[in-house]
Amino acid sequence: MSGELVQILEGNTFVVSDDRGDIESSLSDPTGLFSFDTRFLSRWVLTVNGQRLTALSTDDLQYFQTRFFLVPGGGSVYVDSRLTVIREREVADGFREELRVLNHDNQPADLQIRIDAASDFADLFEVKDALKKKGHYRARMADRQLVLEYQRETYVRETWISSSSPSDVDDGGLSFSITVPPHGEWKTTLDVVVSGGHAEGADRPTRIRGQRRVRRNMERGLEKWLRQAPRLECDWEPLEHIYQRCLTDLAALRFSTLSLPNRSLPAAGLPWFMTIFGRDSIFTSLQALPFTPELAATTLLALAERQGTRIDDFRDEDPGRILHEMRYGELTAFEERPHSPYYGNADATPLYVVLLDEYERWTGDSKLVRDLEHAARAALNWIDEYADLQDNGYVSYQRRNSETGLENQCWKDSWDSISYRNGDLPGFPRATCELQGYAYDAKMRGARLARMVWRDPAFADRLEKEAADLKRRFNRDFWVEDGEYFAIALDGDGRQVDSLTSNNGHLLWSGIVDKSKARAVARHLLGPRLFSGWGVRTMAEGEARYNPIGYHVGTVWPFDNSFIAWGLRRYGFKDEAACVVAGIMEAAEVFKGRLPEAFGGYPRKTTRYPVRYPTACSPQAWSTGAPLLLLRAGLGLEPQGDNLVVDPALPKRLGNLEVLDLPGRWKRMDAFGRGRVDTDRVTLR
Amino acid sequence: MAKGSAGSVAAAADPITQFFASLDEPGHLATFEGDSAEVEFDVLGVKKAERWHVSITNGDVAVSNRGGPADATVRIDRQHLEALVTGRLNAQAAFLRGLFTCEGSVSALMMFQRCLPGPPGSTGRVAPISSKTVMAQRGMR
Repeated sequence: MSGELVQILEGNTFVVSDDRGDIESSLSDPTGLFSFDTRFLSRWVLTVNGQRLTALSTDDLQYFQTRFFLVPGGGSVYVDSRLTVIREREVADGFREELRVLNHDNQPADLQIRIDAASDFADLFEVKDALKKKGHYRARMADRQLVLEYQRETYVRETWISSSSPSDVDDGGLSFSITVPPHGEWKTTLDVVVSGGHAEGADRPTRIRGQRRVRRNMERGLEKWLRQAPRLECDWEPLEHIYQRCLTDLAALRFSTLSLPNRSLPAAGLPWFMTIFGRDSIFTSLQALPFTPELAATTLLALAERQGTRIDDFRDEDPGRILHEMRYGELTAFEERPHSPYYGNADATPLYVVLLDEYERWTGDSKLVRDLEHAARAALNWIDEYADLQDNGYVSYQRRNSETGLENQCWKDSWDSISYRNGDLPGFPRATCELQGYAYDAKMRGARLARMVWRDPAFADRLEKEAADLKRRFNRDFWVEDGEYFAIALDGDGRQVDSLTSNNGHLLWSGIVDKSKARAVARHLLGPRLFSGWGVRTMAEGEARYNPIGYHVGTVWPFDNSFIAWGLRRYGFKDEAACVVAGIMEAAEVFKGRLPEAFGGYPRKTTRYPVRYPTACSPQAWSTGAPLLLLRAGLGLEPQGDNLVVDPALPKRLGNLEVLDLPGRWKRMDAFGRGRVDTDRVTLR
Repeated sequence: MAKGSAGSVAAAADPITQFFASLDEPGHLATFEGDSAEVEFDVLGVKKAERWHVSITNGDVAVSNRGGPADATVRIDRQHLEALVTGRLNAQAAFLRGLFTCEGSVSALMMFQRCLPGPPGSTGRVAPISSKTVMAQRGMR
C-alpha cells in the first residue's frame, strides 16, 4: 500500500493520500491532511454518481503540488470512459484542490459529484501509538462552508471546507448537481483551511500562520532557491542528478517557525518529522553550509530563541541546553508529551557552538556571532555546569523524564545502540565518546570566537586550557588498548563500553584524537569490520549486537559517513575520505539520487545493491545533506581567512568535477577537481 | 517607566505580584541581555482591571501596572497566569491549548518566557541506574 501513497507538503502542512487523491485513514494507513502535528482531514473521498474513481496517472508537479488523472469506476474495467476527472492539489496552510470534469461524449452528462469529508483531529503521536481522543467533535455549516471541529476544554482545532461553485453542504461533505455540456468541462475549486480558532460561531477560520501563500510565490521561491545555489558539472553524470535531487529535497524540507515566519531552517524529515530537531537541523545546516549558508543562520536563531533557561525534569531542560524536538499537537498542548519543546539530547548544545563558528568561518557574518554571544556562552556553560552528571569532567546523559523522555540522548538513540562487546547494556548516566569530541570542538571553536569576535581573550584562554585537558584525559580513558580504537562510551562506573563503532569517525571530525592514534582509527574505519564497501557501518562486524539490518548496530548511515569523511580529511587521510565519498555516492546513484536514512550493512561483495532500511521518512534531512558534505570532503573545501582553499582528492570514477559560484566571505568562488584516487586500491598500513 | 511602581506591592503574598516584583527589583536580568521588548499582561475575569507591563531594554527590566504600547499583549485568566509564574504551567503548552491569547509579536513572548520558573520539584538530577537494572528492564539476564 505504501508504494501508492502520494505526499505533498509545504512547511509542516502535508497531505498523504492514495493515488486517486482520496484519503481514508485508519490505524494501519496513516493518510490525511496534517498541519502543526495534527490531522485535519482523515476522510476526503470523491465520487461521481456514487462511484469511486480509478487513477490513470498521478503526476508530482512540485513537492507542494500533485495532479491526479481519474476515470469513474473501479478495477480495470472502466464503467464510464466518457468522462475524465482531474484533481490538481496544492498545499498551503491546508490545501486547495481544483476539480475538473471533462465530458468526452456528444450528449450532456448529468452528474452528482460528491466529496465526503471528516476529521479525527489526531495528534501525530496518537497516529503512531493509536491513542483514544479525550475531546468531542462537531460539524457545522457557516456561510455555505463546512466546518469540522474538535474541542477539548479550551483547545479547539477546525477544518474549514468551501467551494468556488454552489454546492449542497451537509455535515459529511459537499455535493454538486451538475450538467456538463457535450465535449465540455465543469470545474470548481475546493478550499480546505486548517484553523486553530476558538471564536464561537465565527464565520471565517483563524489561520494558525498568517496568510496563505499563492502558488506563483511558491513556484518562484523554488526556482529562486535552485538558481541561487552553486552549479555543479561532473563527468560522472549521476552526480549532477544527485546534486539536483538534494537541492530540491532541501527546499521541500525548509520549515518556518511561528516567530521567524520569513526565514527557513531544515526540518528533520518528510513527512512525520517536519519540525525543528536540534541535532538534525544543526547537522543538516553544517552539511549544506558551503551551498546554502542561510539555513545555518536560521537554525542558529531559532534554536537560540528556545534555548533552555530553567530546570524542568519533565522536559529534561537545563539552562543553556539546546532543544531536541518541538511539537504543536494536542498531547504536547496538554503536557501529556514533553515536546514544548523537549530538551533530551546531549549533543545539540556543543554542536550549536560548532555550527556558529563554522558559519562564521564560511560567511564572515560576525554580526550574528555577536548577536548570539549570550546563547553561545550559555551553551558552553551547560557543558561544564549541567552535562557533567558524574562530576568526572565528561559530558553524560540520563533522562529525568522516565516515562516519555529519551533513554539514549545521542544520535544513536535506539535502546540497544550502546553496548559492550559481549552485548550487555551499560547503566546510566552514559558518557558516549562523540559527545566528548563535540565538547572539545565547541571549546576550541568557542575560544576562537571569544578571541576574534567577543574580544574576551581571558575566556578564550580558559576554554583552550579546558579543551586541552579534556583531550588529554579522553585519549587516556576512552582508548581501548587491545583493539586500538576509542570505546563507544564510559559507563556510570567510568568503565569502558568497549564495542567498536562508527563513532570513531566523529571523533576524527571533532579533532579530539591524538595524532599518534589517528592512523589506527582510520584503519578501523576503512577496515573490513566497519567498512561494507558502500560505507562505514554504525557497529563493527564481530560485536555481539552487530546486525547488518539493526537500526544503529550495523546499518550504514549516509549522514554518519559524510561526517566521517570530513573527519578523515581533517587528519590528512584524503584517499580514505575518497573511498567513503565513492561508496555513498554510488549508493546514491542506486537510490536514484535520494539517499535513505540508512541501508543494510551487508558486505558489498555479497549484495550487488545497497539494501534500504525500511523507515517512514523520505527524504530525511541529514541524508539529503550527506552528498553536499561529501562534495566538500572530496574537493577538500576549507575556508582559510578570506579565501576558500580547494584541495581535491576525488574518486577516479568521477572524472572532472566543477562546482561554480560557491558563496562565502570571498563572495563567489569556483572549485575544480579531477578524480585521481583509485578507491579499490587504497590501503592503510 | 517609573521604577518601583510594582515593587511597592511586593510585600503582598500574591504569587503574581511576587513574580513581577522579582523581575522589577533587580532591574536587570542576564537572560534578556541583547534583547528588548515591551510585553503586557491583561488579566481577565477580575473585578478591577489588572495589568502588568514589562519593559525590557537590553537586559534592563522595569515593571508597572500602567498600560502602554506593547510588542506583545497577552490576555489571560488570573489562575492561569498564577500557574505560569509559579512554574506549574508551561507557556508553550498553554499557548497551544488556547489558555491565553497573544496579540502582536510571538518573538517578544518567546523572549519573555525565558524568565518563567521551571516546575516546582524539578531538581535536575536523578539516581543512577545500574547495568543490571537496565538489562533486567529489557528482559535480559
